[in-house]
Amino acid sequence: MAAKYVILPCNGLDKEAGCLARELALKMAAATGSEIICPVLYQTAPSRYAPLLREGSLVVIDGCATRCASRIAANNDLKIYRKITMAEEAKKRDYNPGPDWRVGAGAAAFVEDVWRSWQPVLREQEAGRAPGENAGLFAGPLEYAIHRHDKFIFRVPLEGFYFNENDCWVQVQGNRGRVGISDYLQQNLSDITFVTPPDPGTEVEQFGEMGTIESAKAVYELVSPVTGRVVAINEAILEAPELINENPYEKGWIAELELTNFEADREFLLDGRRYLEVLKEKVADFNAGK
Amino acid sequence: MSEEGKISIGLISCSGEACPGGTISRLATQKVLRSIRPGYNFVTICLPLFMAGGEEERHFARHYPTITIDGCEKCCALKATEVLSGPVSGKVVVTDLIAGEKLGEGTLATRELTAEQKAMVDQVAAAILEQVDKINREG
Repeated sequence: MAAKYVILPCNGLDKEAGCLARELALKMAAATGSEIICPVLYQTAPSRYAPLLREGSLVVIDGCATRCASRIAANNDLKIYRKITMAEEAKKRDYNPGPDWRVGAGAAAFVEDVWRSWQPVLREQEAGRAPGENAGLFAGPLEYAIHRHDKFIFRVPLEGFYFNENDCWVQVQGNRGRVGISDYLQQNLSDITFVTPPDPGTEVEQFGEMGTIESAKAVYELVSPVTGRVVAINEAILEAPELINENPYEKGWIAELELTNFEADREFLLDGRRYLEVLKEKVADFNAGK
Repeated sequence: MSEEGKISIGLISCSGEACPGGTISRLATQKVLRSIRPGYNFVTICLPLFMAGGEEERHFARHYPTITIDGCEKCCALKATEVLSGPVSGKVVVTDLIAGEKLGEGTLATRELTAEQKAMVDQVAAAILEQVDKINREG
């Protein structure tokens, strides 16, 4: 394997998980000829790593659940190609990070096993399209309309987005459409814990199923606003479903489709302004207990 | 003071990816943490978390004596602590103790240390403990 990555490990010192993240970063760097970003130096001198980040795909390795490396990447709007969390890898393997920070034989074997399991996943990049392809095609909404109700604030992009009454949207650029869920739906679902997007290659019909979203409250079946073939999914939400809660119209998109019948599909969709009115009614009805 | 009347001292180590001194500082800090010193309660402060917004870490460094351990003259740990929490009580810079040419270049894996590098770890750990004693003397 000879893909080049840029690796941002948490490498924290005060938990073994952080030390394990660092060990995995070293192993990955040695095996793939990749570069490691020092999370601390990155924050004091980000320009130092700018050329690396332009050239390589970013792999973030978190140690514990605090996910500092992910936080650093998010704070700096870095596009993450893959995210690995050592605490989760440990859980999968029934490995209990011990109190000793020294990476002994057990820890070394654990890191080796994590690396072995991630190699095929990283190889996908070599076979597939480059990460970030089309990233510029779907710029985020230029403007949001806001509807306030009690402590809740619901946002709706006014331009370029079309909604169905099931609170799913499509953003269209040429024959491509990016789909996701509305701010209203993500707030109703509350903390999203798991996303099952449609598989790439799947043919989806308008109002057909396009995967599921699971939250602490419910499992929600996504209703596609358009007809088309799935050409990409947002892999970032597989690792971080909370991106949908953070911003369902930008980082929280779900899948990208090659549209086959958009002119006809549009007849059954609402533009941002009309959806805003529907949303207001839904909020009012919900408040009235209907 | 912490539990059992021990003095709490924070240790903030360089993260260690950009220079070999970083790995030496990490290992020396860990060595001090594992050392048994009656009367002291060493607390690590995770530098990535500290810089990414960890309020508890920043609060600790603001209110308890804290020593920074840096791998090179960039002094990321020292600078970040001074900016985010205030003056430190002690500082150790690996390259002040060990010449850069002895340290070499590139990232150092913790499990592949030579005997000479292990001696460097001991030397830096001793320097940290000197700072600890200084804090104790100065109250």
